[in-house]
Amino acid sequence: MSTFNVMLSAIAIIMLDICVLVLIFSAYRERHTGKKRWSKIGGDMELVEPGKTYPLECDEIIIGRHASADIRLMDMSVSRYHALLTVCNGVWTIKDIGSKSGIYINGSRVKQARLCENDIIKLGKYKLTIRKRRNGNNV
Amino acid sequence: MKSIKRGQRLIAFILVAFIIGMIVLVVRIQRESAFYMSHNTHKVIGNVYDKNGDVLFDGSGDFSKYEDKHFIDVGNLIGDNTGQMSNTLVAKNLEKLNNYSFSTGLVENGGKSAIYTSLDHYANKAVYNAFENKKGCAVAYDYITGEILVCVSLPSVDIAKGYANIAEFETGTLISKNLYGTVPGSTQKIPTLIAALETIGEEKLLDKTYNCTGSYVNMNGQTIKCHKSEGHGEQNITKAFANSCNPFYAQLVEDSELPLDSIKKSFNSLGYSINGKKKNYISIDGINCETASTTLENSSDFDTQWGCIGQGDTLVSPVQMILWNSAVANETGRMTMPYLIDHITNVKGKITDRAETKYSDSIFDANTAEAAKKIMLENGKNYTESISGYELGIKSGTAQVKNGEEENSLLTGFVNDRRHPIAFCVLIEDKKSGNVKTEQIVKCMLDSLCS
Amino acid sequence: MYKNGLSYVTSCLFVLIAHCAMLALVLFNGNYTETKDVVTLAGVVISLDLVYFIVMLFYKQMTYSIDCMLLLILNMSLIFQSCFGGVELAKKHLITCIAALIACRLGYIICRNHTLIQTKKKYIFIINLIIILCILTLTGSRSIWIDLGFMTIQPSEFLKPAFILSCSTSIIEQQKKTKVLCFNVVKENIVLTGLIILIVGLQWWCRDLGSLPTFIAIYLCGLMFRFCYPKAKFSKKILVIIGVISAILIVLALKFAPSYVQDRLNVDIWNDKSGNGYQQSRALIAIAEGGWFGKGPGNGNLHNIAASDTDIVFSSICEEWGLLFALMMIIVILSMLILPLINPPRSYFHTTVTTGVCGAFIVQMALNIFGSCNMIPFTGVTIPFISQGGSSMVTSGFMIGMVIAGQSPVFKRHKRKRRSKGGAK
Repeated sequence: MSTFNVMLSAIAIIMLDICVLVLIFSAYRERHTGKKRWSKIGGDMELVEPGKTYPLECDEIIIGRHASADIRLMDMSVSRYHALLTVCNGVWTIKDIGSKSGIYINGSRVKQARLCENDIIKLGKYKLTIRKRRNGNNV
Repeated sequence: MKSIKRGQRLIAFILVAFIIGMIVLVVRIQRESAFYMSHNTHKVIGNVYDKNGDVLFDGSGDFSKYEDKHFIDVGNLIGDNTGQMSNTLVAKNLEKLNNYSFSTGLVENGGKSAIYTSLDHYANKAVYNAFENKKGCAVAYDYITGEILVCVSLPSVDIAKGYANIAEFETGTLISKNLYGTVPGSTQKIPTLIAALETIGEEKLLDKTYNCTGSYVNMNGQTIKCHKSEGHGEQNITKAFANSCNPFYAQLVEDSELPLDSIKKSFNSLGYSINGKKKNYISIDGINCETASTTLENSSDFDTQWGCIGQGDTLVSPVQMILWNSAVANETGRMTMPYLIDHITNVKGKITDRAETKYSDSIFDANTAEAAKKIMLENGKNYTESISGYELGIKSGTAQVKNGEEENSLLTGFVNDRRHPIAFCVLIEDKKSGNVKTEQIVKCMLDSLCS
Repeated sequence: MYKNGLSYVTSCLFVLIAHCAMLALVLFNGNYTETKDVVTLAGVVISLDLVYFIVMLFYKQMTYSIDCMLLLILNMSLIFQSCFGGVELAKKHLITCIAALIACRLGYIICRNHTLIQTKKKYIFIINLIIILCILTLTGSRSIWIDLGFMTIQPSEFLKPAFILSCSTSIIEQQKKTKVLCFNVVKENIVLTGLIILIVGLQWWCRDLGSLPTFIAIYLCGLMFRFCYPKAKFSKKILVIIGVISAILIVLALKFAPSYVQDRLNVDIWNDKSGNGYQQSRALIAIAEGGWFGKGPGNGNLHNIAASDTDIVFSSICEEWGLLFALMMIIVILSMLILPLINPPRSYFHTTVTTGVCGAFIVQMALNIFGSCNMIPFTGVTIPFISQGGSSMVTSGFMIGMVIAGQSPVFKRHKRKRRSKGGAK
């Protein structure tokens, strides 16, 4: 192996390296488009509790008291796995997954319901509002 | 959200585990690539040199430029890369001799891989020639640094001549006898002396006397004969050591102040494998060297007593003996561990491994070492004529082998001189068949090493 | 295309440049008799690049980076395979590469709508069973190959994506509990466990223990997602129990493994250089000979050894291209699996699919590379995309398609179901 050959090999390896880095970098940039697309699918919604907002970032969200719940409400009046939020075409649906205290949408108890903007969801002693995301909040 | 993040964490965990594995793999390949290459059929082997730069093995395989019998003195220690001998320096360190490194690849010409040994080729040749037509072995090392200076075993093989007539080789040609157990004869009295000093203590032991009438009937009614049939008379330990008096030692072993368990304990720390336990090995730069083994079952039993005197089942390798001598000569109770490779150069000529002096754990007390040294030096005075010019601590031995048909002569000891700190052991097989004496070989060895 | 035209072009350009650099290396360092061979190879690689770039434009995806990576690695492997023991276009490998790309598109189309796939879940299980039946009936005398005359198919490879799909699950599905005896269980999980037991039994029967770890890894990933998230009540305990049980199972399996497996487990390859350790010792020597930069494409000796382009392909690449190149190849495959971490899937289903694929790929690579380098027992599994072999390439392509689907999912449900109050089933 002459120096020239080694150099050539090194160059090829560096080119590959750069290529991988460029691809990873472009993946980072594509992240932005991914987010935009998601806000289209997810209807750009978020759950609001007084003093706290919960972004809705994937298509199935568990609300409950358990540590592994996506939205954790720390109160004994909330079941460990209380409700499940699902989305399609910008419309969120809430579903009771075996809670003890039930779900109340705008005052009436439901097993499952589609959510409209500004609906008030009552889980145990918590009251959550679903609304359009306001500017300045990051997803 | 949490659910998705968990999934991502799992993916990250799997990836990290794999990457760690890959790192381990790369490090391993880096480290072991030379070993892998030593199994390749195509190799470019470097040379082995002695401490003065004399060639002990030529990797190119072209031996024509060397004089006849240039390699024969250390032939069965240094060995070669043909695979005929497995427990040799070259066979065990082939990967270090190969002109290869992971970054340079195999260098066909001008590679500088070499092993520089601590051997003195001139002294080895002199010792080899001093054996004349006798068989046996001789080993000497620097008991302060651990450098092996002489390691000769006869009959030996001339690697330049090859193995065409391997069928005609005598047994023991292809091994260095220094590395293997042999019947120690009276040289076994050194470890027994050490065990007694450890247990009883110097003062008390020096006060002990036993009578030798030429033979001794032990508690089990078996007779231990002395080599002097008329007996040595009243003996203390110093005299008995010098006279190599068997009845004295038999009585010492039977003495209630030297229980068998404490002998076993001492022998254990000396490195013996007792009563058929698994044998230990000392590794000298990859070369395996047997240590010692014996049978110790009952203090008043014939076999056990002979085990402590140096016959029966006892086997000790010459290298092990010089290690014990080093612990005595240094007055520390620690053996200086031997090495053969002083330094190694890699393919670019850079020194990679340089030998360091290492010591064993304490195998007996420093006071014991001091006392044993005195007794050995006292005995050494008997050799001022035959090995003139050196202050020696010494023990001779005669070992009966082949059911008493042959007698081997042994001489082991050390030079009590910080300028020439040499511990040695010489073995001549079948001593009756010729005129060469162990003293002559020791004298020749010391003269050539100290000149 | 989503407003990132520039980024798309740069990505494609850099893939092309990387391939050109490799081809230049072949041209200058390679071992070939006629320049024609190199030119053919270069033509094929570059035209494959260009065609795929154009084809990709017809797909509306959110990210194209995995596609670019896929193309990068496929053409890399085409170049590698073409160079073993002399430069010549590996036609068979080219065909399988194209098949892999098609399979990738297919996987993407099938998996991008996860709600649709979930409603058809029972068909996936049926497909699994069909493949298992195929293995049982069509392969001759307990082997793993189906001989079609002009080509051989390894049906157990096709089982992998099907099994990943059946392992994947969504949260809704995990909430559908039924009472069996006195336990609240998800039926689908029981079916899945039954399936893995069936597969393990089948692999044992076929003596194809090499791909067993892959299936077990996929199953464990699926299991983690079932226990850790929607039923996290006993997550940590369960994890420990699973760990202990699997460790015991592995120990037992190794202890009672058939003798031909035992033989492979306890091989001192350097003492058995001409027997069981032949391939591995030659592979390691080849890596040592290659060094950092290799001997040059086509200059290796390892191509004379059996399975040099499948089981010990890592060593072949190390010998000819050098360890650095082989590591780069691994990095490309790994970054394909890292991309889902950058652009996370938006649904639990796709997360499970991605993790399953990741588990399968990593386990296969680990078994192959570490196996051929004597760190773990040597098994005959393939490195995805690198090793030669039609079935493996196609399924790997399909599996990457599933990952791409997770990156650019489609969220659509049948309108009828969305409106109904009965819930999305």
